[in-house]
Amino acid sequence: MEQERPPSKWKNILDKLRNLGQISPDKTRRTILRRRYYVALISRRLTLIEIILFLIGYLWLLVLPLPRLGQRTYMDENALQPAQVNTYWNWDDVHAADNYLDHVERLRDNNITSAKRAEWLQTELGKHGISASTQNYTFSTSFGIVNGTNTYAILASPRHSGTEAIVISASWISRIGEGNGTVNVRGVSTVLALAGFLKRYSHWGKDIVFVLSDGYLEGMQAWLSSYHGTSQSGLKVDPLELTSGVIWTALNIDYSGHSFSHLGIFFEALNGRLPNQDLMNSADTIARYTAGVPVILYDHLDPEEEPAAYEAPWWLPKAIHDIKEVRSYLYQAKNVARHIGYQYNGRGSGVHGLFRQFRIDAITLYGIPAMGPHGFHAIGRTVESTLRTMNNLLERLHASFFFYLQTGPRQFLKIGLYLPSAILISVALMFRGLGTWVNAGWISANHNSKDGALSKESTWRSRKRPITGTLSVMIAMHAFGAALFALVSSSWFISNIETLAPIAFLTAFVLPLFALVIPSTKSEDVAPMHMILKTANLCLTSTVISIITLMNFSLAAVLAVVLGIPLVISSPSSKMSVRIAKYSAYALLALGWLLFAQQEIVKSVWSWQVLLVWFAPFVCIVYVPLVLQAGIVCLLQP
Amino acid sequence: MWTSGRIAHILLLCSPIFALSAERFDETLSINTLQDGKVSSKFTFTTLLKGASPRNPKTLDEEDESQLYTVFPLGLGQILREYAVTELHLSLNTGRWNYDRWGYPEETGVGTGAELWAWMGDGAIRTVDERWKGLRNALAGLFCTSLGSMDDLRTTSPEKTFVPEGSLPNWDAPHQIRHASLPSENVCTENLTPFLKLLPCKSLSGIATLLNPHKLFDADWHGMSVHVLWRGDEGVEVRLTFQSVSDPLRSAVTRKQDWSFESLFGRTIDRPCPVAETSEVSVTLPINAMYTIQPEPARVENNLAKFDVKEISEPLLVRMIWPRPFSYPQTYHSEATPFSVRRTLKGSSQAWGQLSLVIENHRPTSMRAMYLETMPWLLQFHLHTLQARIDGVLQDKIISNVQYMPSVPHSRPTTLQAILTLPPDTSVHITMDVTKAFLRYTEFQPDAQRGWDLPPAIITPLEDHDNYTIPSYSEKRMYTANLLVEQATPDFSMPYNVIIFTCSLIAFIFGSIFNILTRNFVLVKVD
Repeated sequence: MEQERPPSKWKNILDKLRNLGQISPDKTRRTILRRRYYVALISRRLTLIEIILFLIGYLWLLVLPLPRLGQRTYMDENALQPAQVNTYWNWDDVHAADNYLDHVERLRDNNITSAKRAEWLQTELGKHGISASTQNYTFSTSFGIVNGTNTYAILASPRHSGTEAIVISASWISRIGEGNGTVNVRGVSTVLALAGFLKRYSHWGKDIVFVLSDGYLEGMQAWLSSYHGTSQSGLKVDPLELTSGVIWTALNIDYSGHSFSHLGIFFEALNGRLPNQDLMNSADTIARYTAGVPVILYDHLDPEEEPAAYEAPWWLPKAIHDIKEVRSYLYQAKNVARHIGYQYNGRGSGVHGLFRQFRIDAITLYGIPAMGPHGFHAIGRTVESTLRTMNNLLERLHASFFFYLQTGPRQFLKIGLYLPSAILISVALMFRGLGTWVNAGWISANHNSKDGALSKESTWRSRKRPITGTLSVMIAMHAFGAALFALVSSSWFISNIETLAPIAFLTAFVLPLFALVIPSTKSEDVAPMHMILKTANLCLTSTVISIITLMNFSLAAVLAVVLGIPLVISSPSSKMSVRIAKYSAYALLALGWLLFAQQEIVKSVWSWQVLLVWFAPFVCIVYVPLVLQAGIVCLLQP
Repeated sequence: MWTSGRIAHILLLCSPIFALSAERFDETLSINTLQDGKVSSKFTFTTLLKGASPRNPKTLDEEDESQLYTVFPLGLGQILREYAVTELHLSLNTGRWNYDRWGYPEETGVGTGAELWAWMGDGAIRTVDERWKGLRNALAGLFCTSLGSMDDLRTTSPEKTFVPEGSLPNWDAPHQIRHASLPSENVCTENLTPFLKLLPCKSLSGIATLLNPHKLFDADWHGMSVHVLWRGDEGVEVRLTFQSVSDPLRSAVTRKQDWSFESLFGRTIDRPCPVAETSEVSVTLPINAMYTIQPEPARVENNLAKFDVKEISEPLLVRMIWPRPFSYPQTYHSEATPFSVRRTLKGSSQAWGQLSLVIENHRPTSMRAMYLETMPWLLQFHLHTLQARIDGVLQDKIISNVQYMPSVPHSRPTTLQAILTLPPDTSVHITMDVTKAFLRYTEFQPDAQRGWDLPPAIITPLEDHDNYTIPSYSEKRMYTANLLVEQATPDFSMPYNVIIFTCSLIAFIFGSIFNILTRNFVLVKVD
């Protein structure tokens, strides 16, 4: 019987494996040479690689709104069961809401003080047999003193231990124009009517907390920090007389117009946080299928659904514009742009944004002001059914997504699809930084040869790369940024911003000019400072961008766009005029906001002092020094 | 057939007569209208085993006397004898008792969830802890509850707050208390059915007819409890109670607080329980209010309308009718409760927080109270941060006599007892920093992202007396609300993948970077 003996075959393989592990001098040599070859291949084409990375990164950012890129939203937490219940909110309750509306409008028109208004609200809530109370707060900020009175009530649910709670809130000031003073009359009336309505049912498995906060954002911030026992400087607040358990979810109602045509969902929270996507998806499903209200993202309409309300952009030829994909792209691009606009500066998009800092998932339902067709009936049903959905939760929302980029009300990108755009740009920065570092360490021996002709066989010498001086410059710049922040956030600066901002700009512009007097390194054996500074600056920028991508993608994307190419191309020049011109451009990029965005300064400082949004300190202490250091690179002697 | 039926009939008729000789069964139902329009009702079923005494644990290794009961619940009696329990209190409650609005409950143990405490004699061959373990498992089986999970992680011995309600026999060895609470226990029909089985007439006749699960478990608050105690001069008493707070205004269209047996319980009392010695329904009549009560009560004593169920000839359907719609008062005040208590866990971090207790003394006189926390080790106290403040000003005279038994991670709960001196008409804010425990991943319970329910704190008013460690009226315990603590929780949807991927990635990145940083291969020519 002929049979090939397997052991011999196995032996061959085993021998090969054994040889793999053994190190022969020849093999090692080949490995090292191969590695060198690849390293050389990369370093020689470093610029090309960077350009490719930049191109892909920027293109990726542009591609994000493509309709084909995203995927449809879906419910992940099975317990939620949105739109699966019969709603009981009916015309009686609409009538009750209308009655409240009359009173609330009278409160608005008679300019009643906050305290009086809160007292009335408390009485009305108390009439439903719900424990209600008020809370005074005072914020002392650089803008003066802001005070107000919140009203809140806690509906202790039947047979519930009071360990978990849901919040329904309405701020007195609507989000229209970022809280420009339009009173959220119908939102407040809805909450009052809901309080009476919800008490009639025994299926609530969590306490329901009604919060009617004063002001636009500050009232809710005061209430929430008091509820969670956190303290912040400048805030004086009464302790809460009524408490409930842990708040898991919150729903903020913003409905100020006569009627609404669509429900807009706002979700961005402070400091780039986002609520769990399941909450948004539930509200969307419920509004569509229970209340029959179309849902949109923010407050602009989808051209596909509402062609009448849509105007084509003038710069786009009609032929191109008629392509459906183009229109969808433009719509989604608008959504992404608004998302970035709400997220990058950390201010969030409304009252719901304040909850996330306490791990509460919250969104705002915003009734888009219109002459019809929806009103209290639709919003009441939506809120009732959404509450039932939240009520189904046995544990905190933890499934679904916390990192997403919403390109439409039912369309989103997962983190893996949007994160690489900013990361690639930051990788390009890092490559350039490391490349500069390597270049700084070597000098060609023929570089300074007397005959001027470079011989083909130039030899390379290594040279020192002192970092002490560079580090002190960087530390000084960041300290300077901190001082700038202290100045900008002082009440003295805020109250005289129109005169002081240009002065601050000039001072900040002039101070880094000291770099002109830093002597150039005389010795050839020491790397010039501008190279080391550029290295450190690029590496730091790249690290900052990569870290920020996870905390606040929009901010990272903006930083990648603003800092990417400018920082890479910073280089000194032999001509003094060119140096000054380059520096001026960088200074303008770093500090231009002092001249052109004074309103933004005010808003950012206010957000920092009242809401603890770290955008203002970040700009002063991180962004400005990074750009100014690029400017200093240009100022330094080559 | 005829004979056997007749014999059974005779036996049925005779049984009460035998029972009455050594056992006595009484039942009452009291109904009370509360100031926020709700109606509280309390069923009490008392069985007295005359002349009996609890089993001395010394006799545990001997054969026990035979247990021939007629109306006394045998299932419970056997458990009591088996583990030589002198006094036992078990309560199963759902909802939060609102002391500020509803006043003081008739039955004290109103903490949310399950609570069990027992006094047992020591000095037996089986230790108190062994018997405690057996007792809670036996009761878990009897009442279909998860009392079995009241393990060592939750058992404490707070003998000052839980003083015996009856008397303790004077045996050689002292008595010991064991107490445990299970705040996350859900109470429903499966607990009521075994409860009814302990009654001599089940829910077939007498007041117990009204124990209709469909209505009772729709109430705003409900709680059942079992109390066993020894009255030295009378015998062993078993008291089964069921309390509920219903809201007639919840579904009312007319906003009137009318109630009837039909609306509260969905039933009427059709016939009396034959073995009951007394069977009485008493309704507290409102003062200074217009109302009608039907039918005409048998007698009215101390503002209590009383109906004798033993005397009924037709189904009893008590109802109270109010002519005017109800309007909620703007403020609520209860004379019976000396103070309001609010306990919360502040902070949103998963690693630490602050326990905050606010006690508001409503009385114009200074009061003392015993504060008791029996906290599972999930929340670890920083005792040195225990502070009392009035209007934000630190006070050092409020907290005294602190007794503290720190928790042992993974095994023993904390017991903290302190005496609080509460100035008149003031709110005292007591705060203490706490650490939230970091659990082993096998220790998480299902629905890990929910967190853990923590048992209520208990405040007991003390008599203003030199010997202040004795509670003035032991039945005046006040329970705070439960708390929910959220620890750092891993994503349990895919723990292994996450752990494996993360670890591999970190190992890979660390290895590569370390390699690059520390080693450099160069070619060296060796000639």
